[in-house]
Amino acid sequence: MKKAKAVLAVLMASTMLLGLTGCGSDAADAGATGSAAGSESAGGSAAAGGSDLNIMLETPVESLDPQQATDGTSFEVIADFTDGLMQMDADGQAVNALAESYELSEDGLTYTFHIRQDAVWSNGTPVTAADFVFAWQRAVDPAVASEYAYMLSDIGQVKNAAEIIAGEMDKSELGVTAVDDKTLQVELNVPVSYFLSLMYFPTFYPVNEEFFNTCADTFGTSPETTLSNGAFVLDSYEPATTTFHLSKNESYYDAARVQLLGLNYQVIQDSQQALMSYQTGALDTTLVNGEQVDQVKDDPEFMTIGAGYLWYVSPNMAAVPELANLNIRMALTMAIDRQAITTDVLKDGSTPTYTAVPIEFAAGPDGSDFSGDQTKFSTVCADDATKAADYWSKGLSELGITELTLDMVVDADDAPQKVAQVLKEQWETTLPGLTVNLTVEPKKQRVEDMQSGNFQLGLTRWGPDYADPMTYLGMWITDNSNNYGLWSNAEYDAIIDECTTGDLCTDAEGRWARLYDAEQIVMDEAVIFPLYTQCNAEMLSSKVTGIEFHPVALNRVYKNAVKAE
Amino acid sequence: MKENMTAVQNAVSDYIPVETDFKWKNNADEINIDENFAAQSFWKDVILRFFRKISAVVGLFLIIIITVFAIIGPDMNEFTYSTQYLDQKNFAPRIASLERFGIFDGTESMKTTTGSAQVNYYEQKGLDDLYYWFGSDNFGRDIWTRVWSGARVSLIIAVAAALIDMVIGMSYGLISGYFGGKTDMVMQRFLEIANGIPRLVIVTLLLLVLEPGMLTIIFALMLTEWVGMSRIARAEMLKLKEQEFVLASRTLGAGSFFIIFKEVLPNIIGPIITQVMFSIPTAIFTEAFLSFVGLGIPVPQCSLGSLISEGFNSFTTHPYQIIPPIVVMALLMLSFNLVADGLREALDPKLKEM
Amino acid sequence: MGKYTLKRIVTALFTLLAILLVLFILMHLMPGSPFNDEKLNADQREALYVKYGLDQPVVVQFIKYVGNMLKGDLGVSYNISKNTPISQLIRTRLPISIQIGGYAVLLGAVAGLLLGLIAALKHNTIWDSLATVISVIGVSVPSYVFALALSYNFGFKLGWFPLLFSPNDIFKSSVLPSISLSMFTMASIARFTRSEMLEVLGSDYMLLAESKGISGAALIFRHALRNALIPIITVLAPLIVDLMTGSLVVEKIFAIPGVGSLLVNAIQSNDYNVVIALSFIYSAMYILIMLVVDILYGVIDPRIRLAKKGD
Repeated sequence: MKKAKAVLAVLMASTMLLGLTGCGSDAADAGATGSAAGSESAGGSAAAGGSDLNIMLETPVESLDPQQATDGTSFEVIADFTDGLMQMDADGQAVNALAESYELSEDGLTYTFHIRQDAVWSNGTPVTAADFVFAWQRAVDPAVASEYAYMLSDIGQVKNAAEIIAGEMDKSELGVTAVDDKTLQVELNVPVSYFLSLMYFPTFYPVNEEFFNTCADTFGTSPETTLSNGAFVLDSYEPATTTFHLSKNESYYDAARVQLLGLNYQVIQDSQQALMSYQTGALDTTLVNGEQVDQVKDDPEFMTIGAGYLWYVSPNMAAVPELANLNIRMALTMAIDRQAITTDVLKDGSTPTYTAVPIEFAAGPDGSDFSGDQTKFSTVCADDATKAADYWSKGLSELGITELTLDMVVDADDAPQKVAQVLKEQWETTLPGLTVNLTVEPKKQRVEDMQSGNFQLGLTRWGPDYADPMTYLGMWITDNSNNYGLWSNAEYDAIIDECTTGDLCTDAEGRWARLYDAEQIVMDEAVIFPLYTQCNAEMLSSKVTGIEFHPVALNRVYKNAVKAE
Repeated sequence: MKENMTAVQNAVSDYIPVETDFKWKNNADEINIDENFAAQSFWKDVILRFFRKISAVVGLFLIIIITVFAIIGPDMNEFTYSTQYLDQKNFAPRIASLERFGIFDGTESMKTTTGSAQVNYYEQKGLDDLYYWFGSDNFGRDIWTRVWSGARVSLIIAVAAALIDMVIGMSYGLISGYFGGKTDMVMQRFLEIANGIPRLVIVTLLLLVLEPGMLTIIFALMLTEWVGMSRIARAEMLKLKEQEFVLASRTLGAGSFFIIFKEVLPNIIGPIITQVMFSIPTAIFTEAFLSFVGLGIPVPQCSLGSLISEGFNSFTTHPYQIIPPIVVMALLMLSFNLVADGLREALDPKLKEM
Repeated sequence: MGKYTLKRIVTALFTLLAILLVLFILMHLMPGSPFNDEKLNADQREALYVKYGLDQPVVVQFIKYVGNMLKGDLGVSYNISKNTPISQLIRTRLPISIQIGGYAVLLGAVAGLLLGLIAALKHNTIWDSLATVISVIGVSVPSYVFALALSYNFGFKLGWFPLLFSPNDIFKSSVLPSISLSMFTMASIARFTRSEMLEVLGSDYMLLAESKGISGAALIFRHALRNALIPIITVLAPLIVDLMTGSLVVEKIFAIPGVGSLLVNAIQSNDYNVVIALSFIYSAMYILIMLVVDILYGVIDPRIRLAKKGD
């Protein structure tokens, strides 16, 4: 009897779980009849001529204040209801939005933007140049302490921005002026070739001062405290909520082109629930996690989308004498089987990357991808276990050691932990005498450790802020706060300097060529071990067309999306 | 009590009971059989009573089996817990002797959004001599090996944490409850401060400051888990300390600590053991939760908890990956419970006849 | 009794203050800062510290915080929901967690008591074994596995309940999360009820009660259960706090905007104000429930009340 008890327990436990198997085929049917209550839009206004698009988000929105937001999710939602001077077109190029036209001075230092006459905020007030001045001054105001202030200073090179951030000047001295209601003038320190593409970045979006002052501290925390000038209007939202809704903005200057009635956002952190919701039809688009790709890879609605992030391992050359040895570093980067990581572990379409700049995010003067040729540095960065072993034994004998133990810090998230486990295994198998210990930490902690130099190897990633290789190459100059390995090379610094503030600012082709020279130095010295360019695996309903996906700044743009009935 | 007495007395004065008013409480026949037991030591008695209960023996047997597997299981095949064969990932379970019956033959039914499909990776890849008894995970690691090495880690953590908790929590609760008054007040406020702070805050902090690893996890669990035990011990003490046998003992001149540990403790061993048995899964799950937020046993090492969280990610894709750790866990829990029951009944003199 | 209760309430307030201080110190021992983003440079981080007053000594921060708290101001979030007043975050989320947790407690306690009673009364029968098996499953299968299994079967395949939490249909969409949360409570309560009841049933006063002719429901509920309740309540009390303050995993799976996931995110991103505020609410609930339990002990068992009076 008692034995029966034990057996019964096992049986019950397993039937509960096995309840899952052998019922896949009717999943789709269940979907059709299944409950869609979870998705019922707050607006619920599925009238004729369009409908709501149901979108899955992985993380909640952190902030709807364009000058305070820092994450991709917040940017995406802010851009749903706010336009900048420029917006992204389907190919990621900057096109006029609130700016009807613009002029650039001969010396490349002054932009004059003319704002559309019909651009209005959703409360009826027109969008003026003063709205931009107010917003940009907020962005650099030390009292606001915007985390993305450097977009105006280091990257945008707006006149006096750096001084204001440092507290040396008043914010009114910022090089941006409202010439009249509809004319905005921007002065730069040096010509910035990609300046227009910054204009679609939310930090540069306008904020109406009068309205801002009426909501003071609560700006951007509810539909009442946000103002729209874009394609949609927020109509239900709470801070850090899991569901919220936007409706079409009838007063939008381009309203005729907006076909969706609204956007219905649902935050789902568990990917299995997300896929089930998608299958029941409650979502029109959802992210798919690595394991689930096996389930959906034959589905015509499955797709992978470049996310722009470059994942890489950063060796601490300053603190670990063994890593200061070039052969050891070469051995480590050569011993990685990037192909196996992307096809066998991540499976989400991520691409193995052998360059210091990720694939398909920056197009050159001739329109070609900066990192299109992945074999360019194949002599110094490849998946080559034999060469790795050679470098390894050379390095070990130079150092006079036979064994080496290294620690690697890793984020406590799912994908980095998986990749780290594979790296450890690949390194330890290919390089005899090497032991790699993994230290898994929450991301904030890992970043702190790397910034303070308290690491040996670090698995990290970098997302592009603007579509130019400089967002990556600028990291490796001496004393950059993201140059965790404290690498320093005078020649490299000189090239980067030349390309940001020097002679090459206005010479696109010449600059492009020099950036390659810089990348060559980084790769030759194995300053980083690039791993892969991240892609996201997504499901997108076949009824939906026209969503624009971008690896930079705004990941998804819905303005031109259409959902068939 | 007094009222009842008078009631009885009143009844007596009004009514003379006859024999048919009384009946034997249940076992009328057995009670007349005289049985003589040779006097024997308490522990001998306990062991005897324990082994007379079949369920307890079954539980003990299961624990021993699982422990043995936790020790030798990982070495029973050619795989190790960390070796990855990325070309052999997500293989369904396959066992040589059962294969011919059509079960555990390495076939799984994959549910895709476009319909379900029967796949057998062993056949697809021509690996006829390969047997993953419990299947392989998404890194191509052998689940059999990982489950048993996970069981090993979990058993060590759970038993160590539970025992330490028991000693600390029990003493704290008993002392606090027995002395009462100011002592109790101070001790309970201290406990409230210690326990009023969410466990996760304390544990996270601790794990960030100390080197991650098994000892740190045991230490962290120890710091937070004793509170439950102490609460039980205190409640039991409050219940018992006013009872007559304690008073009797005190009247006979017994010291406080003698009363606490020699008089009261044996009487509350039941709930204490039940609590210990529950602190074992709590310890295992707290560890699993720590793995879930990235602070558990460092990867690629594993525990039953971290295996369950890993398997959870493949729950709808490859359900066989989560079943072995859950079944081992359930068996472990079941057997701990059976043993606990047996022990409780064996230790509790009041339950002797049941 | 009134005096005793008052004394307990006053000490509870001091305990809370002590907890707040400990939390503050813990937050400052925590390695890292809320502003450890790889995109931030040292100057900007400095500016953020000044903005939020984190550059001041801990004592000053503590006094300010307590002062603000008395005015109902719990500060703002630094990064999980930038600059949002925490009172606003909690106002919308705590009721949801309390509601779902409340259902779970209710369900777990009732089902657990029944299961435990059955097991004890039918000791060593098939019912007893069945109850054991159910409670073993309850403790050995984590709540998130239950959550997904329930959601797959009753949400996805059968479509009886929504897969995700929906503010428009709170009751229906709370069913699956509450069930998955209640499993552990149910199992623990069942085990404790069983073991307590067995002990009580074997005691002399039960024999007395039985021989006095009391039987059936009155015997079990008025005499046996009442005596078994103290330890059961002791076990249940902290579980109530845990359930009502939300569970990370179940909230994550059902997309519930509760406080459990908020706390974990806040800890991981060093969002001090959120951690302190949520921990404080947790502590306050905990202390409140302990207070209630202590008073309940007296109601259930008169001997404890007498003992307290004697002090």
